[in-house]
Amino acid sequence: MTLAGPTDTTDPADGTDAVHSCEAVVWLDEVDPERAIRAGGSKMGRLAELLRSGVQVPQGFAVTVDAYARHCRESGLDDRIDAVIMRLGGSPDDAAVEGASAEIRAMFRETPVSEHLTRRLTEAYEELCLRCVDVNVPVAVRSSATGEDAADASFAGIFDTYLGVSGIDRVLDAVRNCWGSLFTARALAYRLRQGISHHAMPIAVGVIELIHARASGVAFSVHPVTGKADRIVIETSWGWGEAIVQGLVDPDHVEIGKSDGRVLKYDVAHKRIVSAFDFAVGAVTEIDMPAKLADRQVLDTEQIEAIASAVRSIEDHYGHPVDVEWVISRHRRPGDPVCIVQTRPVTVTAAPEEAAPAAYDPVALAQKYLFSGRPIPGR
Amino acid sequence: MANVVPVDEFATGEWYPGFKPEHFEMPYIVDGASPFRPGDEQGFWFLDFHWSRGLTPLAATLWSGDGYCWGTQHAAESLPLPPGRGITARFAGTHLYGCALPETDPREIGARANRIATNLPHFLHNYRSIWDAGRDELEATWQYFRGVDFAGTPDLTGLLGQARRYHKRSMEIHFGVMYPMLANFLGFYGACADMGIDPGDIGKFLQGEDTKIMETDRELYRLAMRARAAGLADVFETHEPHELRAALRRHGGAASTWLTEFDDFLQVYGWRQEATCDVGVPSWIEDNTIPLGLVKTFLKKDDAHDFEAASRNALAERAEAIENARSGLTREEQAVFDAGLQSNQEANFPWWQDDHNYYIDLKVMLPLRWGCQELARREGADHQDDMLYLFWPELLDVASGRAPYSGELRSLVGERRQYFDHWRAKRSEMPKVLGTIPEAVEDPVLIEIFGLNPGSIKAVQNPDAAKQTVMKGVPAAKGTARGIARVLQSSDDLHRLEPGSILVCESTSPNWTPAFGKIAGAVCDGGGMLSHAAIVGREYGVPTVTAVGVATLSIGDGDEIEVDGSTGTVTILTKSTTTADTTADTAAAPAGVAG
Repeated sequence: MTLAGPTDTTDPADGTDAVHSCEAVVWLDEVDPERAIRAGGSKMGRLAELLRSGVQVPQGFAVTVDAYARHCRESGLDDRIDAVIMRLGGSPDDAAVEGASAEIRAMFRETPVSEHLTRRLTEAYEELCLRCVDVNVPVAVRSSATGEDAADASFAGIFDTYLGVSGIDRVLDAVRNCWGSLFTARALAYRLRQGISHHAMPIAVGVIELIHARASGVAFSVHPVTGKADRIVIETSWGWGEAIVQGLVDPDHVEIGKSDGRVLKYDVAHKRIVSAFDFAVGAVTEIDMPAKLADRQVLDTEQIEAIASAVRSIEDHYGHPVDVEWVISRHRRPGDPVCIVQTRPVTVTAAPEEAAPAAYDPVALAQKYLFSGRPIPGR
Repeated sequence: MANVVPVDEFATGEWYPGFKPEHFEMPYIVDGASPFRPGDEQGFWFLDFHWSRGLTPLAATLWSGDGYCWGTQHAAESLPLPPGRGITARFAGTHLYGCALPETDPREIGARANRIATNLPHFLHNYRSIWDAGRDELEATWQYFRGVDFAGTPDLTGLLGQARRYHKRSMEIHFGVMYPMLANFLGFYGACADMGIDPGDIGKFLQGEDTKIMETDRELYRLAMRARAAGLADVFETHEPHELRAALRRHGGAASTWLTEFDDFLQVYGWRQEATCDVGVPSWIEDNTIPLGLVKTFLKKDDAHDFEAASRNALAERAEAIENARSGLTREEQAVFDAGLQSNQEANFPWWQDDHNYYIDLKVMLPLRWGCQELARREGADHQDDMLYLFWPELLDVASGRAPYSGELRSLVGERRQYFDHWRAKRSEMPKVLGTIPEAVEDPVLIEIFGLNPGSIKAVQNPDAAKQTVMKGVPAAKGTARGIARVLQSSDDLHRLEPGSILVCESTSPNWTPAFGKIAGAVCDGGGMLSHAAIVGREYGVPTVTAVGVATLSIGDGDEIEVDGSTGTVTILTKSTTTADTTADTAAAPAGVAG
């Protein structure tokens, strides 16, 4: 039997649409998008929305905000965390914040998950294995914070993500580490500055099928620097996207005309680092790029079109510019959609003077480039 | 803080012997020309490459007055330029410095912006008829002067006045067309660069249109090939240019026939001087040496220059550059690019920049020159160009008989010649810029014609310019060339170029064009990618770098250099031993660049 596609939501075991979600777990394909963000955090909520709108996303479930809150309450973590934060006071120094962060994160690692929740998560993980037709299916365990988009943006990349986690014990460990990452020093300091209680922004955790990545990357429905809305920008490298997201690799840069899908430019970068699955460690880690892949162009035209098509439909769905993280699976065939693992609104907008001119206006261009008191570009 | 190069050294109050301020009264709109004055360091002054020999009193009046202070200031008001009011001029000795006049009042700038918003589209829409009308008007005046009998005109005062008015009117038309065309081109250029188009390709979009100057070169080349076919190559090889006419006449036979054809050629193309609007320089008809020397040069090359192939290549390169540029643009950007390209191909600045020289710059000063020569003849002057050493009011006094030439004026002319020669010898030491140096300028003429971009403005301030071995400029014509540098002060030195030389100069003018048939590369202090050297370098496939700022200072005559016209880099590979001393002198002497 071949692997089922990630959007194949029918249960291969009995062919019925059994409901697997509960108060601790919501499945991407079952949750009402209205409820998705509240229960599964913004990252998972948006994936559920994308799935509903017809975009290909990996299979998976979210360990809900409720599950997190109940764990903290019932295990006594809440009181211990509050005590540490109380001790910090209103304006602690950096070292004190670092110390508090380490202390709280250690508490999360050491506090076992209740029997009830362990059972729920085990059932869910086994269901995911079944759906993927795999034993101990490797998953991505991703923090999925709650709160406003602005806070989401401020916390971008701050919470933990674990790629290639395999087996329920490791999944449970990764979930607890993600919970603890709500208390990184940066997050603590931010909340102290803003006067926000951590109770006001509980965290959910996504457990999603790890797509075996041939290539991954990010894509923007507008130029991320100039804000030009007439193009889609893709940055990509071999393997998983972590090396790109963390800025460890200089990726290939592609620009595509949004209205006609033409590739405007493709700059092949020298890619030194790759995020690859390490079977010995059982996780995705960053290693040196094999020499023969370093200077090779990652994407062909068909793949670029598939990414651009996904980005366009996500932007259309939300009605505002977005950035996305995408993966091209080893099993993807030409014509298949690419898999979207994350999306966010883009906040960059073109300044009026930077906006691309709508028509050739010699007076406006002379004013802009010649009579502006600034050097003419390219001179 | 802005760098300031003092002008005190040149603001001494001394000028040409016998100079009085009332000698130098001229029409202007914002600021009139003069020798440098204390306080002038508030402006940003650049050495004008057009007159590398220096200017005689009459030439100084005519260009700084009618060209800059009337022509540019008039055009800057007519368009208008929102933040600029044209160019004014000062003299350091005989050498001309220009300075853009800024408009700083915000209300005024806003009002001017409103006016250009109406006038620029109107100009572009009617470009063809506007330029044709201006050109036809000037051609009609030119035909009038061709029919004038200067020798038979008893009082030359009126003719001299008409001849000057012809020049002044030509400058109104010249800058009245140049400013809006440049504003359109530079706006398009900025938009292209902003859309990610390689700036080195932008000039190519507009290349390959035939001009009267290229036509002249082709015809002269055809004459050279006819001389070879007629077996006259030997005559050209064994005589210096100034001996050629007599030698050909002595040779008789086929040479006589050839000379007749040559004279027919001159009647069409020979009304051109070896300089821009310089009353002090003869036309090809007055002095055959230059065109005959060019024929001699053409004959030295064994392989024929294929003008048609060069033109085809230019057009093919243009099509390829446009296709490349478009392929990297979004559909929205393509719409802007296509419309901008069409506008700039219709009002094609690079084409006009070459073509207009035939109608204006290279002959517009000739009627005044004829008048001056006739007057010199009547007054029994020592040289036929002695009148060029008079200031305008002095000239009219002599012409009308109000003042005698012999006596005081005649001896003043002698002193002024010495003054001119003294300053001519100092040309290579003249500072490239004076006054308060900005990072960028806004006057389109300064940007495109003089190549005053942030890079070249920085380069001319380098105190170690004389010692540097690697220079950057505008990559104007692609390709790489190595060769021996010939540093030329003016077109008077063109004969020093050998096949394979690399030309190094302040800037080139149309009369330098044939030299591109034999040189391997070209480097200029000034000029943008649409300057004469850039355009001709591309047409002839000669690697060219412009706007280096200090090439004539850094490179010694005889140095072995490499020109990379693709990256805009010029490298001195080996210093010439014979020029090492000269270079050391230049380095030791205050080169005039800011320290």
